[in-house]
Amino acid sequence: MSESLALKVRDLDIFYKDFQALWNVSLEVREGKIVSVIGANGSGKSTLLNTISGLLDPTRGTIELFGERIDGLPPHETVPRGVTLVPEGRRIFPRLTVYENLVMGSYTPRRRSKREETISKAYELFPVLNERHDQMADTLSGGEQQMLAIARAMMSEPKLILCDEISLGLAPVIIKDIYKRLGQINQEGITIVLVEQDVKRSLKAASQAYVMLEGKIVLEGQPSSLTEEQVKNAYFGI
Amino acid sequence: MNKTLKYRWHILGLIFVTLSTVPIWGSDYVLFFCLLFFLYASMAQMWNLLVGYSGLLSLGQQAFVGFGGYTMAVLTNYYGVYVWLSVLIGGLFSVLLALFMSLFIFRMKGIFFGIGTWVFAEILLLWFSNWKYVKYGTGLFVKPATPPSMSTIYYAALIMGVGTLITVFVILRSKIGLGLMAMRDDEEVSEAMGVEIFRSKLFCFLVAALITGTTAGVLYVFQIFIQPYKAFAIDWTIVLVFIVVIGGIGTIEGPIVGAFIYVLLSQWLAEYGHVSLLILGIIAITIMLVAPKGIMGTLQEKTGFTILPSRRT
Repeated sequence: MSESLALKVRDLDIFYKDFQALWNVSLEVREGKIVSVIGANGSGKSTLLNTISGLLDPTRGTIELFGERIDGLPPHETVPRGVTLVPEGRRIFPRLTVYENLVMGSYTPRRRSKREETISKAYELFPVLNERHDQMADTLSGGEQQMLAIARAMMSEPKLILCDEISLGLAPVIIKDIYKRLGQINQEGITIVLVEQDVKRSLKAASQAYVMLEGKIVLEGQPSSLTEEQVKNAYFGI
Repeated sequence: MNKTLKYRWHILGLIFVTLSTVPIWGSDYVLFFCLLFFLYASMAQMWNLLVGYSGLLSLGQQAFVGFGGYTMAVLTNYYGVYVWLSVLIGGLFSVLLALFMSLFIFRMKGIFFGIGTWVFAEILLLWFSNWKYVKYGTGLFVKPATPPSMSTIYYAALIMGVGTLITVFVILRSKIGLGLMAMRDDEEVSEAMGVEIFRSKLFCFLVAALITGTTAGVLYVFQIFIQPYKAFAIDWTIVLVFIVVIGGIGTIEGPIVGAFIYVLLSQWLAEYGHVSLLILGIIAITIMLVAPKGIMGTLQEKTGFTILPSRRT
């Protein structure tokens, strides 16, 4: 039934000028699940997430968040509806303090009243950020910056988090830690879409997986039911 | 740190009282000096708000200097409008000009935006210097029915200086201010967080036009004479860049310190004519090399000292 769907993307086409980046992409994410989207560089994963969050307008197709159409809405309207992006490459605000970065996460009006409460929740999840409270964000290590990016996204009290390449450029031990926190976030009932190049790790975390190639979804299914061979072929387009 | 916090308001109060009584105790030199200092500090604050905080590289603030100044002069001379009222209307006309400019230049980014603003200023320069209504390039003498006294002009300048400082402080401490700083750091991500980029930038651009235009009005009431080749000259932007860069871009205190230094230097260097520009240039380059964050920026980095913290804790 559709009421258990957090996100439903149907027949999405995206163009950058004349270049078509997404071709007829459809995807469903059940509430409370972790869904993984994998694919090589330039396969359209980030484009997909940017479109869902409202940074890009779809040329064709629909996006429904908990049954409500959100395609074409800008981020300042999608964020209050419960979807937040953790952008690729962390992209914290370097010349703002850790605290200010978090406040930026709750920029849209609806969230502001409960801000202090959400901040202490974020610090509970990532205690290291509490220690860095007043520090400029660009003085944080790569792992801490990624934690800050996730905590910042959590500040808008999202129902759905879109994580773009959160393991990019991080040490394996830190990636493991971050995935553990993602699991905790998921246990609170927050739906997660993971976009990754780290195929194994993200398939392990997810209950449903999509493989993208050249702007199209070429394979989907439960990670347990997909063979390594299938994934490899879809990933490289063999 | 706590001690400086405790005495901050006392010190600021003392400075304010000192400055607001200058017409009583000060010599003409001190009066002129402070007056120019307020006006330059005010315009520099606005340029800093645009460039240092919201990432709008404006090279055309002289468009508002000239437009605000000329509006004031025309209203005062031709229509007999009360001089301070025409100063305010000059500010409002600058906002209208900024709105009109925004239709074109808000499609551009970075240096292209800068060039766009500059082009508008040049167009205005050419227009005003070929316009009979404002006496071509000869310029206009500002002749109010009852010329304001020097101390009245001084207080007008004081209001502009202090008012601008308070405005910038309030903006930066507000939600919009945080959004602006985030936008400066990473425009796309700030948009993803829900900042309405276009609205925030336009807001800054209009505020800067309002205050720059009004400040210019006060300046030309003081200088009495306005001419297109001076009022719309790129020199204004060069001066603002100098002030903000040596003072410290992206700090509230920077433009104040920079304006003080600039006015001081320009008084001393006035007798050297065009060599003075050379000297100002050398100073600016030296500071960029030695302390790229400017005087206040470097000081803050080294000591954590701020007079007016725009930071939230």
